[in-house]
Amino acid sequence: MKTRRMKAKTGMFAYRMTAPTMVFLLVMTIYPIIFTIYYSFTDYHYLKGTHPYNGLANYTALLENMYFRQAVLNTVKFTLLAVVLEVGLGLLVALFVKSLKRGQKALRTLLLLPYLLPAVTVALIWRMMLSPNYGIVTQTLTTMGLPVYNWFYDTRTAFWALLVIDVWQNMPFAFLLIYAHLQGVPETQYQAASIDGAGAMQRFWHITLPNISNGIALCAMLRTIDTFRLFEKVNILTGGGPANTTTTITQFMYTYGIKTLKFGYASACAIVMTVFVLILSSVYIWQIMRKNRKQ
Amino acid sequence: MKVKKIIAAATSLAMVASMTACADSTQESTAVQNDNTPVQTQEESSAQTTQENAETTDMTLILRGGSYAEVIKAAFPEFEESHNCSIEVLEMSFDDLHTGIALDAVNETGTYDLCMVDGSWMAEFTQNAVLANLSEMGYSFDDDIIPNTTKICMVGDDIYLAPYFGNVTVMLYNKANVEAAGYQPGDITTLEDMLAVAKASGEGVNGFAYRGDTGDNIVSDFLPILLASGGWVVDENNQPTVDTPEFAQAMNYYLELIQTGQAMSKDDVTAAIDNGSATLAIGWPGWYVPSADSAADYTVIPSMALEGAESYNTSEYGTWTIGIPANSPHPDLALELLEYIMDPQVQLESIANGGVPCRYSCLTNEEILKEYPHLETVCKALENGVYRPAIAEWTEFTNILGAEMGNIMAGAKTVEQGLADAQTQLEALMQ
Repeated sequence: MKTRRMKAKTGMFAYRMTAPTMVFLLVMTIYPIIFTIYYSFTDYHYLKGTHPYNGLANYTALLENMYFRQAVLNTVKFTLLAVVLEVGLGLLVALFVKSLKRGQKALRTLLLLPYLLPAVTVALIWRMMLSPNYGIVTQTLTTMGLPVYNWFYDTRTAFWALLVIDVWQNMPFAFLLIYAHLQGVPETQYQAASIDGAGAMQRFWHITLPNISNGIALCAMLRTIDTFRLFEKVNILTGGGPANTTTTITQFMYTYGIKTLKFGYASACAIVMTVFVLILSSVYIWQIMRKNRKQ
Repeated sequence: MKVKKIIAAATSLAMVASMTACADSTQESTAVQNDNTPVQTQEESSAQTTQENAETTDMTLILRGGSYAEVIKAAFPEFEESHNCSIEVLEMSFDDLHTGIALDAVNETGTYDLCMVDGSWMAEFTQNAVLANLSEMGYSFDDDIIPNTTKICMVGDDIYLAPYFGNVTVMLYNKANVEAAGYQPGDITTLEDMLAVAKASGEGVNGFAYRGDTGDNIVSDFLPILLASGGWVVDENNQPTVDTPEFAQAMNYYLELIQTGQAMSKDDVTAAIDNGSATLAIGWPGWYVPSADSAADYTVIPSMALEGAESYNTSEYGTWTIGIPANSPHPDLALELLEYIMDPQVQLESIANGGVPCRYSCLTNEEILKEYPHLETVCKALENGVYRPAIAEWTEFTNILGAEMGNIMAGAKTVEQGLADAQTQLEALMQ
């Protein structure tokens, strides 16, 4: 009897402690999500103010829209490439910095600078650097006699230019997270491996990688979620062009839903995007949970 | 250890320097005040400010950023002083301005006292009661305003907007490049001439620079070419007329024209024309203020495709108008401000700041024309400009048309395929 009362008391305490967070989540996250789901089934035009129920019409229109399909493909392609490059480069840089005997702190700070800049500032900096008129990159390439492209308006280069910029800005995040996990790898394991005659690659595959795999997975998940929402750089640098080669789901939502004030349509688009992000994230979460169960 | 010390010292120095910089500005302003006025104690100054704030009306304006807002802002100090108000200005991009006005429109009492409106949003805003009826508030146009520029501002006899900045498409050109191509600006009277000049531009020079990003920009740059070819985007019943021989002809011509140059951002287009890395472009007076010794200038866009062909009005209006939101928090004061900035004398003075009034008294003023001869071109263009269709679906219309034109320009679709696809989607939109 006493134990049950104690348990109930502990439960109540836990609820009381988590209540502020739950209320915050309800107001700031759950409530907007429920309304977005509701609006996605309506023909909600912001200025008209009416939102008559129209069933699955928004979703059907979305799936039938070739630009939306292209936007989904662009987003998935961009996300996969960006995450692989950011995590891969972040890992390499983290290993390099960790291996340094001096200047680790200074390099760490310098490497983080691009990540500290707002995406809008990054976009504007790169627009200036790649400008066909006064851009330093264009001028340098011209001086060196190398080919100069119309980076943001050529179908061959626009997507890749955005990718480079995104990797440049977000690789430091991957670096920082992986670098932090590297600090937790026990030195004794390396020492033991060295005594057993393990080479650098063997130490990396059998000691470093297993120890930081959770960190890499977490980093990949966070970058996936963030990259899927890519908007500012696309909107400022290409507007989704040329020929929709850089249109992402968020850019599509902005152009065809927000700008036109068709919020019902935009809501359906947002829900589809959320589902995509959930699917992609759940793969990582499921893998981590499986690993934890094994351990 | 030494490195650490150096970094720590540098950081401390930077912090001290930044704090000193902040302190300096305060000291400077105090010093200036000391030169001119008796010194006030902090309490006295604070009490006075509180009293002033209690009486001052705070107004908020939402305007198109860049030169358009700068011109209006230059006129504020006098109004603020005479009306004891303080004006805050939000400067927005084209799309953000549209969304910003719309988002605030559903509130019972809005945030904005005055807003800048593009003519193409007029139908959407008036149909949804976003704007106040200026006629009912007692505003009327005077005879000095170029009549054609007021058409988009009215629904029937009711005025909703006032034409503030006479933006109308013009042909930007680099003087030296045009001359090197063997032409004088006045000789470029047909689309054929335009193409010849663009093609004759030297090695490494863009014959024609254009914007290739958003659908709206793609469509805006192309419309004068379409007009000169005798086509238009809708018929008299506002039904799309995109898949027509005239449109296809204009599109084919445009493809040839853009082959001579490359797509750029707006800022790059203006810079390229000014520095000579491009010869021709289609732009707006708000982008560039030419002078007698500037490298670039502008003139009217050719009005016919070929010599001897039918001539059309090719100046596309992009006039920035000003209006009062229906939910303006201070409608009476907003009307006074609107009347003030539309005043002929205030508008005349705005020219020195890059303004382009829609008034004969300003654009035909001999003194002004001596200093700003390009305004004669603007005046002619404003008298005969063509409005984009006044339809509530225009934003969506340009999204669709711009996307398909972008596909054609990038070679992803043929002209026939792209225009047919655009026609199908636009017909569905306008049903």
